[in-house]
Amino acid sequence: MTHSSHTGKPCCQGPWDWGTGSRRTFMQMGLAGFGSLSLPGILRMRAEAGPTSREKTAVILVWKPGGCSHIDTYDPKPHAAAEYRGPFGVIDTKVPGLQFTELLPRQASIADKFVVVRSMHQKAGGHPAGSMQLLSGDPDTRDKPKPKLPDWMTVTNYMRSLEGPRQCPLPAYVGINPPLEYNGPAYLGDAYNPFTVSGDPNQPNFSVPNIGLSNLGEVHRYSRRSSLRQTLDTLERTFDQQRELAALDEFETQAMTLLTNPQAKEAFDLSQEDAHTRDRYGRNAWGQQLLLARRLIEAGVDVVTTSLNGPLCGRVSNWDDHAVNHHVFDALRFRADAYDQAVSALIEDVFARGLDKRVLVVVTGEFGRTPKIEHSPSTGAGNASAPAGTVQPGRDHWPRAFSNLWAGGGMTPGRVIGATDPRGEDVISAHAGPGDFLATIYHHLGIDHTTPIRDFTGRPTPIVDQGRPIPELLV
Amino acid sequence: MMTQLLHRRTPWAVWISVWGLILGGSLAEAEDRPISFVNDVMPAMTKAGCNIGACHAKAGGGRNGFQLSLLGFEPLDDYEQLTKSDRGRRVSPASPDKSLILLKGSGQLPHGGGLRLKADGEGYAIIREWVRQGALYDKPGTPTLATFTIQPQRGTVPRKTQQQLTAVATYSDGTTREVTKQALFESNDSSMAEVSDGGMVSIQDLSGKVSVMVRYQGQVAVFSASVPLGAPVEQLPPSNNFVDDLVFGNLKELGIPPSPVCDDATFLRRVTLDITGRLPTEEESAKFLANVAANKRDLVIDDLLKSPDYADFFANKWTALLKNRRDDASDTISNFAFHAWVRDSLLANKPYDQLVRELLAATGTVIGNPPVAWYKRVKEPKQQLEDVAQLFLGVRMQCAQCHHHPFERWSQDDYYSFAAFFSQVGRKPSATRGEDLIFHQRGVAQMANMKTGVPMKPAALGDVIPAIPPDVDPRLKLADWMSSPQNPFFAKSAVNRYWKHFFQRGLIEPEDDIRDTNPPTNPELLAALEKHFIQSQFDLKELIRVITRSNAYQLSASPNSHNLVDRQNYSRYYARRLQAEVLLDAIDRLSGTQTDFANLPPGTRAVSLPDNSYNRSSQFLRVFGRPEAESVCECERVQTSSLAQSLYLVNSAELRSKLADGKGRAERLAKEDRPAEEKIRELYRVAYSREPRSDELQHAIAFLTEPRLNAEGKPLDTAQAARENYQDLIWALTNTKEFLFNH
Repeated sequence: MTHSSHTGKPCCQGPWDWGTGSRRTFMQMGLAGFGSLSLPGILRMRAEAGPTSREKTAVILVWKPGGCSHIDTYDPKPHAAAEYRGPFGVIDTKVPGLQFTELLPRQASIADKFVVVRSMHQKAGGHPAGSMQLLSGDPDTRDKPKPKLPDWMTVTNYMRSLEGPRQCPLPAYVGINPPLEYNGPAYLGDAYNPFTVSGDPNQPNFSVPNIGLSNLGEVHRYSRRSSLRQTLDTLERTFDQQRELAALDEFETQAMTLLTNPQAKEAFDLSQEDAHTRDRYGRNAWGQQLLLARRLIEAGVDVVTTSLNGPLCGRVSNWDDHAVNHHVFDALRFRADAYDQAVSALIEDVFARGLDKRVLVVVTGEFGRTPKIEHSPSTGAGNASAPAGTVQPGRDHWPRAFSNLWAGGGMTPGRVIGATDPRGEDVISAHAGPGDFLATIYHHLGIDHTTPIRDFTGRPTPIVDQGRPIPELLV
Repeated sequence: MMTQLLHRRTPWAVWISVWGLILGGSLAEAEDRPISFVNDVMPAMTKAGCNIGACHAKAGGGRNGFQLSLLGFEPLDDYEQLTKSDRGRRVSPASPDKSLILLKGSGQLPHGGGLRLKADGEGYAIIREWVRQGALYDKPGTPTLATFTIQPQRGTVPRKTQQQLTAVATYSDGTTREVTKQALFESNDSSMAEVSDGGMVSIQDLSGKVSVMVRYQGQVAVFSASVPLGAPVEQLPPSNNFVDDLVFGNLKELGIPPSPVCDDATFLRRVTLDITGRLPTEEESAKFLANVAANKRDLVIDDLLKSPDYADFFANKWTALLKNRRDDASDTISNFAFHAWVRDSLLANKPYDQLVRELLAATGTVIGNPPVAWYKRVKEPKQQLEDVAQLFLGVRMQCAQCHHHPFERWSQDDYYSFAAFFSQVGRKPSATRGEDLIFHQRGVAQMANMKTGVPMKPAALGDVIPAIPPDVDPRLKLADWMSSPQNPFFAKSAVNRYWKHFFQRGLIEPEDDIRDTNPPTNPELLAALEKHFIQSQFDLKELIRVITRSNAYQLSASPNSHNLVDRQNYSRYYARRLQAEVLLDAIDRLSGTQTDFANLPPGTRAVSLPDNSYNRSSQFLRVFGRPEAESVCECERVQTSSLAQSLYLVNSAELRSKLADGKGRAERLAKEDRPAEEKIRELYRVAYSREPRSDELQHAIAFLTEPRLNAEGKPLDTAQAARENYQDLIWALTNTKEFLFNH
């Protein structure tokens, strides 16, 4: 895919003529469907909004499911007692006075390109509730199987769909092996779910279903039957005041665009990247996931989420480093290289391609891990875990304090915000809760986080109930 | 009497007399008149929007620590917030203009909410004067708001005209005051009517019923306008029953001519989909179209209501609303039992009040008494009251848990006294793992109001319930109250819900939000349906019968030149996309295949699935919006279109394999040696329950006979071409609106 420039603007051409001979009217509607607002309501809002000329900001969320130990990565405590600090040495970063553990040398060398927030905290100790706190702002500390509130990604999809017709053949929200378990659109409806890409993009046979049919015969057949559908679709349309029928036609057109538009196909095609770039991200699932995220954002996607999970994490495929699951230090060492390489490559690339104003990269998990190391028998052998029964060190869930990383988004880079106490147990400055986390992301996306959205009961609830953009980050 | 009162409360009376002076800006002359916090300051702040959810309402978080009660229902709390918290900076009696409330509200200091109080406006003047007088709370004996009315309350207003509303407050001392400028106005449909801050209603171009809600100091009043279209209504379809009398009467009054009654094929497809959630079979269509009996439409309605398919379809509707949800494999037994109980009850046409009573007052174990399963899904008394109120009474109580419902008369006392009915639900583990035994726990039912801490005895939405002895299950008393013929909610909520099922739009919309401030579009019709339902002793099949037999239900979906924009008076049938389960079954039928659901007998249709767990394995059900049984609101079911749906229809492996199934219809048609026209006719009869028109036949035949080339430009193998052609023809029919919609 040839990008016309490196200015960071989404590079979208017009619709693609997919073979019926007539150039069609595409994208009359947002890609996302119309949830709680009636279609006429949306059309009216759009008419009032007028065309949006401002550049669309975008966010890449890199999710570490299970929760990453803050003490062993971005918030080392070299002076704490041994049962807290762990075995890793500390290294200086490019930012004077800021130190990471030795696991993150590449990120340390570009620490002038991002901000570390060491003062994140939330209140839920379980994976479901913790994820829901951070991704949707639900204050409930109890675990529940499904989210009650929509996550920020689907809210963004919904809010962007209100702004006007999408000018881009790609969906507004794409998940590349996204976090799925404990988040979702809740009352906004499945129409706002991500277009999901699964599988390992590092595999040579990796392909994305529903994107870019390669078989020309198939393309022709699809076009032929679509024409037949139009010919036979004779139900009288005069009653379609609500444009429900028209919306179906338009979504079908968009689906055909995704299937047949070479631009859509190219956005998902990592082979368009040169070998050097692919190497720089790391020739593994995580590296190529982040590279794909950058390609999609550049091609005009608004939100990309991706989870760093799977075999690269170790035996249990996530960051949940209880002693029963993993030897926490073996596990961190096991995944550090791929993690450090992929994240540092993404950040460098975002800056190199001039995306650092428009695109915000957020790297986080749902919580940190207990500062005090525990020891328990492993439940099984495998990568980063000794045979069952072997007592090994682990760290448990720790929502009271954790670190995350913010890059781009026009934020002044090369800083650390907030701090924890000498054992890394509690935040002592620049407290940032889930609402603040979310409000910061919405701020970058140009979405007023106080906008009320109606839930199933019709009760208007602000997108973020409690929180404000992390003031130190906005500087 | 009046004179005496006024005499005794001289300051108030004097104050009222100078009200005009204050409004006129002559504050200097009013210096000695006491401004009432409750009657003046609170309305000024509410009008300025200070206490809405997105701003300083506590219920919405209360920005920057300034927390007011939502819409000002708690004046005393608000007084404390304003005068005492934040070190009292919000009011400065010594220097009123330096009060934070005025500096921020008027934008002299940065204010996230922008300019709310113009420095030369009356809101500012009132608050300023109140501060100057010492920022005092009302003395005991200050008159309080007794009633709030607007004038007029109803009227017929032509399109494109205006109507001024006047709001009047009457106080406990009998005095009255016009408060139009202080009241808040809100239209329930801004496409029909807009309303200004000053109460001027501007009727737009649409005709029908529209209402304006007016709020003042915690009270609400409603203005209902009838907006006629005024077109000549010369021909009305014959009236089949009272439904027609009232629908057509309303149309005549509004001057909206209805569409004609639809043809037989359209009717059969429509009513079969609406009652049984499936397409008519070819045999049913043939038989119905050939029948010459005058009452054949009535007869087919009766046949459908007798069929188990009716029970399947409505059990599907009710079990989702009753949260028959599988969170764990161990839920399977109770979910199957509960679904079977609902289905069998509907099939046997158990009276609706009895059905609800068995559910509400369920005791025992799920094995012996399946409705107990509801108490497994809905565990907390608060959730129980909220679900029962919304589902069976059409009343949304959720807000009242924490604050007075903003558009309603329900207070926190109402909430907790309703919850008290469920306070004695006892549970203990039963022999079946994961299933509780539900029983009445002996004791006096009560629940503490979260705010006041006062224990509330059971009371039902304002109706007093005689004291319930400790041995009596209070839920039985609630069921008695609900099913009483005088109950203003129970029957109304059910008929409105069923009306919406068949007409796509409730007489009250949303269907489960019945309140004074949300009036029905046709109150007489709603009342008549309610009465009919009660008189039939809550006979659900009779309710469906009376609705579907009406010519109003049987109108064509095609509009005439006048009723195109009508969306609320039922002057034509409003088409709707088939819901997920129905559509999947219909696609199975047309493609000649059968979707398999794990651990259920082959041939199980999607509408008869017992719970939500099958959504996990069926991408189709998920993307087309089958609910997860999370909410008592029918709105959980997503009926809107989306890209994911279109991608599914265009390119999913599941649909491709249905079309290409070796035992499917495309394969059979491709192989059968009979004229193409016959095969096309078969497809049309299955898909649309009608014969193809000649132009449709021509297009389809042309498609089937067009020479096809392969990728190398050589003619495609004949058998292969035929197979693909029939698959593609079925695909095309599946994707037409005539197939996807009930119309």
